Amino acid sequence: MYSFNRFALAAVICALAFPTLAQDKEAKPVLDIYTYDSFAAEWGPGPQLKAGFEKTCGCTVNFTTAEDAISTLRKVQLEGAATKADVVVGLDTATSGEARATGLFAPHGQQLNGLVLPWTDVEFVPFDYGYFAYVYNKEKTPNPPTSFEELIALPASFKIVIEDPRSSTPGLGNVFWIAAAYGDRAPEIWKGLKPHVLTMTRGWSEAYGLFLDGQADMVLSYTTSPAYHAIAEHDDKYAYARFTEGFIPQVEVAGLLKSSDQAELGQKFLAYLVSPEAQKVIPTTNWMYPVIDIGADLPAAFGTPPGKVLALDEASIAANSRAWVDAALAALQ
Amino acid sequence: MTNPRILPDRPLRTLSGAAVALAIAALVAMVLWAIFTTASDSTAQPPRVDVWHLVAMTTIQAGLSTVLSLLVGVALAWALNRLRFPGRDLVVGLFASAIVTPGLIVAFGLLAVWGRAGWINQAALALTGHPLEIPLFGLGGILAAHVILDASFAARILLARLDAIPAARLKTGQSLALTAWQRFTVIDWPMLRGSLPGLAAIIFLLAFTSFPIVLLLGGGPANQTMEVAIYSAVRLDFDLKGAVQLALVQIAICSAVIVAAAAFAPISAATGASTEPRWRDRGPARLLQRGVLVASVLGFGLPLLAILVNGLGPGVLDVMARGSFWSALGSSLLIGTGSALLTLLLALGIGLGRAATPRPSLRTGIGAPAYAYLAVPAVVLSLGAFLLVRNAGLVPETAAPAVVLCANALLSLPFALATLAPPLDAIVRQRGRLIRSLGLGGWQQFQAVEWPLISRDVGVVLALSFCFSLGDLGVIALFGTQDFVTLPLLMYRALGAYRTNDAAAIAALMLVITIAAFVLLPKLVGRLTDAAS
Repeated sequence: MYSFNRFALAAVICALAFPTLAQDKEAKPVLDIYTYDSFAAEWGPGPQLKAGFEKTCGCTVNFTTAEDAISTLRKVQLEGAATKADVVVGLDTATSGEARATGLFAPHGQQLNGLVLPWTDVEFVPFDYGYFAYVYNKEKTPNPPTSFEELIALPASFKIVIEDPRSSTPGLGNVFWIAAAYGDRAPEIWKGLKPHVLTMTRGWSEAYGLFLDGQADMVLSYTTSPAYHAIAEHDDKYAYARFTEGFIPQVEVAGLLKSSDQAELGQKFLAYLVSPEAQKVIPTTNWMYPVIDIGADLPAAFGTPPGKVLALDEASIAANSRAWVDAALAALQ
Repeated sequence: MTNPRILPDRPLRTLSGAAVALAIAALVAMVLWAIFTTASDSTAQPPRVDVWHLVAMTTIQAGLSTVLSLLVGVALAWALNRLRFPGRDLVVGLFASAIVTPGLIVAFGLLAVWGRAGWINQAALALTGHPLEIPLFGLGGILAAHVILDASFAARILLARLDAIPAARLKTGQSLALTAWQRFTVIDWPMLRGSLPGLAAIIFLLAFTSFPIVLLLGGGPANQTMEVAIYSAVRLDFDLKGAVQLALVQIAICSAVIVAAAAFAPISAATGASTEPRWRDRGPARLLQRGVLVASVLGFGLPLLAILVNGLGPGVLDVMARGSFWSALGSSLLIGTGSALLTLLLALGIGLGRAATPRPSLRTGIGAPAYAYLAVPAVVLSLGAFLLVRNAGLVPETAAPAVVLCANALLSLPFALATLAPPLDAIVRQRGRLIRSLGLGGWQQFQAVEWPLISRDVGVVLALSFCFSLGDLGVIALFGTQDFVTLPLLMYRALGAYRTNDAAAIAALMLVITIAAFVLLPKLVGRLTDAAS
């Protein structure tokens, strides 16, 4: 078929034109890691973790990226047992249940002592976490709302930007948050939020960009967002609104694939990921809290994680996620 | 209307046009089939949304975007054709660059001018002490962004048609003392008419499949497109069968528009090299032209200017000091050049083939597939391309540049065709007899008659497709492109890592390159042609 050949031909031409480092001549074992794009980007934790692990593993770490965490899972699902991936890094609370159900992941085989989170999962290793939160500018909003209900009671000119739960992780997290905090009252909360929703963007980047441009008063982001501005930009005018309902965590996890031909290396990487050396890299590259106590290596700007934590178990997320999203969208319609 | 006997007999042209069209149709079919077979063991879930309500809403939005964009586009082309002023080339280049700039950047530019903290509001606050309440979020905002993108593109294409009106024709019109209105209806309109169906189809498809702009400015789930539902079926529900079904609905609706546009009878209009206009409209017409121009510069130019102002700060040096920027620039330029040439080749194949046949069904069959690519949801294309490459036994990361190149060429093909097809049609219909009587062969016909007359449009096509590739992420979402980064990808990475200033700087640099390409490439091609003849 003409077009198919053209694809193949063009690929060969380009393979000649753009030599890539697909093969390592020294025949070191290669650990293939699938992760989301910003994890492996030059500012993300990827480059430092790669360098750190390669010092001791006698191997080469190769990152293959997809747009976001859920896309890495989709990619592994599409490739099935034929995937070249050994480890997937960056799945989270909202997707790990679905990932587990694919049956593609193997037990991690780690002891996992000393985590700051309660953890019993035998397949996924947590490597950082954060909480979804509404971020605001302290100079423009001296008295931020302290709960969803207080937010709803504000005049309609107080605007928030949220993300679409169908295309964005924080967007989905927001749906879980309201469901965990309000249960059956969730649709009522969404209805109340409607006049305040300036818009619902495709991803976090657009929403946060709108907020920084001054288009809205608050944006759905993370409790750790103010730390970025304080540390990287020496700007401490941003804070997150302390909602009294409590906060819902997003725990990012890594898992080893059953089909991996580097299982031992993969397990070593998972162990490295929760080691103090790797955990010290996480806060100022991925802008999340570390999963072990790294003491003074956690910059003070991160503050203390919120005290009241809400929880949803994997089973209820799997059973209700679709209905919750549909109810939220219907209320905003 | 057309007498078939005046067309020179060119079976080879028709054949190669049909071959290109078939190949594109086959590619689209294979993309869908690859997904469908992968999903064969699953059953489609019921769609989350009321599909027909969504279709109705999307059609209304896309229809309004199309009508508004064409009205504004015709008015702007008319004004630009008549007026001469310092910096005109730059203004024309600026307008043309809107459509190839990533939609998100334009939307942010729009907000920087008209938004709550935008220039207009700050001025109003300083002058009156009260902020203006400009309702930017909702259908109005979506339409505004679409008109900025599409009307300025339409104006650029239509301006090229008006600029191609032969001087002799204008002289005759002037000696007949036509009024400004008569001049428009008698001389301009026949030139514009041939381009409108193609433009309308493109704008409708763009608006129908628009995704980030619709979500950014839509103000909530009430304003949505089919594309969002399809994206969610793939990404969140991993319901591939359902995604293909929704995609087929979208393709079916878009096809109706495409077929209608492709079936339009060719317009026989004179084409020729134009000279500086000596004929100015008088009185109210000229005033109106100035008004249209000023309004357009404010409406379209300011958001783009805002992108430049916000991006070209000290942060630019910071961005340019990094190796990642230069390697991304290199990749983008390579991909841009490659896909520009490929686009031109495909567009000439289709355009010449379509113009060579008088049979309406064949014309439609050759023309329609070129637009089909626009009707396929981006997430479906991305997924399908990934599966195709894997099924072919290739490593996705290695194939990424080639796939991006092909995808970008196919993306800009409809735009290239909308630019080239009307003049190619007009030329054989106007000069067919002459070509036959001179007994020119196919290549001679192209070299001696067609090329000199379309070289100006070829420059526009090259600029368009070059910049499209510069600004589009293409289909690489799943390809794992660690070592292959283009400028838009670099920009989205910066945006996703809190680095909004870096992102603004990259956006501004992309816009500068785009404007430069639009100002320089048409000139360059024109000069090459002059030198050759």
